[in-house]
Amino acid sequence: MASTRETFLDPLVNNNPITLQVLGICSALAVTTKMEVALVMSVAVIAVLTLSNFFISVIRNWIPSNIRIIVQLTIIASLVIVTDQILKAYFYDVARQLTVFIGLIITNCIIMGRAEAFAMQNGPWESIVDGIGNGLGYSLILMIVGFVRELFGSGRVFGVPVLTTVSDGGWYVPNGLLVLSPGAFFIIGMLIWGLRTWKRDQTEVD
Amino acid sequence: MRLLRNILDKQERLFTQGGPLERFHPLFEAGDTFLYTAGHTTRTTAHVRDGLDMKRLMTIVVVALLGCVYMAMYNTGYQANLAISMGAAALDNWQTALYQSLGFAFDPTSLLACIVHGALYYVPVLIVTLLAGGLWEAVFAIVRGHEINEGFLVTWMLFPLILPPTVPLWQVALGISFGVVIGKEIFGGTGKNIFNPALISRAFLFFAYPMYLSGDNVWTAAQTSTDGVSGATWLARAAESGQAVFVPSISWWDAFVGLMPGSMGETSALACLVGALVLVVTGIGSWRIMAGLAIGTIAVSALLNAVGSTTNPFFDVPFWWHFVLGGWAFGAVFMATDPVSAAHTNTGRWIYGFLIGAFAIIIRVINPAYPEGMMLAILLMNVFAATIDHYVVRANIKRRSSRYAT
Amino acid sequence: MQRNATYVLGFAAAVCVVCAVVVSTAAVALKDLQDANLSAYREQNVLEAAGFSQPGEPLVGQELAAAVARLDASVIDLATGDIDPDIDVSTFDQRRASTDPGSSHRVDANRARVMRVPNNALVYEVRDEAGALEMVVLPIEGKGLWSTLYGFVALDADLSTVRGLTYYEQKETAGLGGEVDNPRWKALWPGRQAFDAAGGMVLQVVKGQAGPVDQAPHEVDGISGATITSRSVTYMLQFWLGDTGFGPYLDRLREEVN
Repeated sequence: MASTRETFLDPLVNNNPITLQVLGICSALAVTTKMEVALVMSVAVIAVLTLSNFFISVIRNWIPSNIRIIVQLTIIASLVIVTDQILKAYFYDVARQLTVFIGLIITNCIIMGRAEAFAMQNGPWESIVDGIGNGLGYSLILMIVGFVRELFGSGRVFGVPVLTTVSDGGWYVPNGLLVLSPGAFFIIGMLIWGLRTWKRDQTEVD
Repeated sequence: MRLLRNILDKQERLFTQGGPLERFHPLFEAGDTFLYTAGHTTRTTAHVRDGLDMKRLMTIVVVALLGCVYMAMYNTGYQANLAISMGAAALDNWQTALYQSLGFAFDPTSLLACIVHGALYYVPVLIVTLLAGGLWEAVFAIVRGHEINEGFLVTWMLFPLILPPTVPLWQVALGISFGVVIGKEIFGGTGKNIFNPALISRAFLFFAYPMYLSGDNVWTAAQTSTDGVSGATWLARAAESGQAVFVPSISWWDAFVGLMPGSMGETSALACLVGALVLVVTGIGSWRIMAGLAIGTIAVSALLNAVGSTTNPFFDVPFWWHFVLGGWAFGAVFMATDPVSAAHTNTGRWIYGFLIGAFAIIIRVINPAYPEGMMLAILLMNVFAATIDHYVVRANIKRRSSRYAT
Repeated sequence: MQRNATYVLGFAAAVCVVCAVVVSTAAVALKDLQDANLSAYREQNVLEAAGFSQPGEPLVGQELAAAVARLDASVIDLATGDIDPDIDVSTFDQRRASTDPGSSHRVDANRARVMRVPNNALVYEVRDEAGALEMVVLPIEGKGLWSTLYGFVALDADLSTVRGLTYYEQKETAGLGGEVDNPRWKALWPGRQAFDAAGGMVLQVVKGQAGPVDQAPHEVDGISGATITSRSVTYMLQFWLGDTGFGPYLDRLREEVN
């Protein structure tokens, strides 16, 4: 049984849901053009993941195993809808930019994956820690990708101009590729490359 | 020469195993074998598969490219001088300053003036490509502990030829860095790359800095504009108004020779044709790919000619124009035939070439955003080259085994 | 573990009820805030097109309230140009209306590549204290190179002079077509004339430089390297300012002004 500390820290680097398990890529491509949007997405995923892990863990001993997937999905879907409603009410501008991707948290494999693989076997406290840890692992990658894309793609960090772009009269020529989704692919790819060069054991055996 | 050999020999011990600069052996080795024949020979039984090694292959490609390099300098200067003599302002940069301080006028009829003017744009791009790309090659060779591969020299020659003359040098450095690292080293280095590194470099710049790699005002080293002297490529004009535009002002022969705006080395179909002959005769470039490409282009453009379109005049452009416009000829001869990223089986080469030709015309004519489709078509087919080979080999195995089945 | 069917059904029902209650509570409780956000967002875009605020610097507080108070939103019937009193302005969502077959109709193929036009549209009028028309802000949309562009165009009381043009949603190529968002390009629009003396909609984005307003009242500089997007801006103005769009409404206002 892993210690709480490991449950929390493992998903950040050693067992990162994006770079090792390559889950949740779709949203990582879609919402990382701006750091602000990526941050809100990260918080939303952490919240949904932590709460879904908690609720599923609490009722895990009562869930009939033949309908467990649909029960998990119902709980996750409800949490996602509530999150979406809250964002539309309090963070309208960001929610508008996130468009369908908040709704698509439902299909984010990380959340179903943690519910099925962890929350169904562990107590509520460990499940919360696991949810936060995995959520942070996802967020970490999102923020790194968002940072690179926003800084070099539009010369900004959190919407604040850092590199003055040519169209604003400055010197920086923004890299348009980073604003397109393939740009995020390259960054995630290089992150995985770098991480697996650093931690050899993450390399898959052919 | 003896002196140079001695100097190299003295330095060698620094780089050999146990020497202080052991890690940098690839750099020494690259310099040494560039100047002299390699000192060591195969120790086991000889295993010559072909008398052709990478260095000779490289030399032949360079010879094949000479015509394009010449046109890159002459035509770049000619287009600039022509535009300026017609009233466009010269670009405000060091090239213009140096050119004028050397005492040259913007005279399109002077061969020397055109070559000098063109060289002022072409040579810096060539040097930056070598420095930036070579740096990455060296870094990876040192980290991975292998020798620097001559394959880069082909990429080095090709990349400047497919860039517009006005491309900023920092973009050249960034582009080739991306091409070498993401296009090649990330897959394990020369021979393992899926994409043609020179093309992936250009594709990177094309999507990252579209302002500098597309439009009407980047192809001539002068201040062209829509209202004044037009700098649009003839391909863009064909996309705009179809065949009609050619009849009075533009001759097919000029396009064939390459006296038109475009990327520096790609405009001359004639120079590419000469290069194709060299590559085919020496057996380096696959004639099947080139032939397949031409057939694909003819088939699709003939089809589009027949279908016609009331809103898109590009449909009416016949295949002999497609051959001489844009990067078709250069792509067909030097890019699609890259031995690493192309298909390897003979049947596969026909299919691979045909599909590049077909897709290039489809992208050119039907996609509203990009007047040129050659780069994207080749990159797309690079992805499928291995798949095509796989099925060709499988079909072959199946056919042979069926002979024994009965 | 295996449970009997009654337990499974009961459990499923319980989960459903709990989740349904949570979701519907959230939806109902937050509805007012969400509606307020939507209209505030729309108003900011309208204010920008109308020239009350600068791009990227939304108005806040009292300035916002003062500016919004000047906007008179109304839902019109596009076919007749008259205000439709049956539709509640605060909840009318034009984009939703234009996809709903019950509240929109198909249009013939057009160069703006608009597929459906809503029967009703949300327009904003700005009037002075005496009630005379100062400006009208109209929503426009049309396909560009990659995406549908959504924006507003503001016309002066003469219903021809452009006061501003803004796009609030588009996914064109960054650096090329995406420059429709560039404040410097948007600044070229105020003062241009949409209609010529004969009443034809002649304002267009040209290739290259058009020159200052007094020299080229009917032309705007093209966006360099973005022929398709530039063209589509022209087409969507032609579509929405013509009879296919707000023509009847503009005619009604012209009668009112004269």
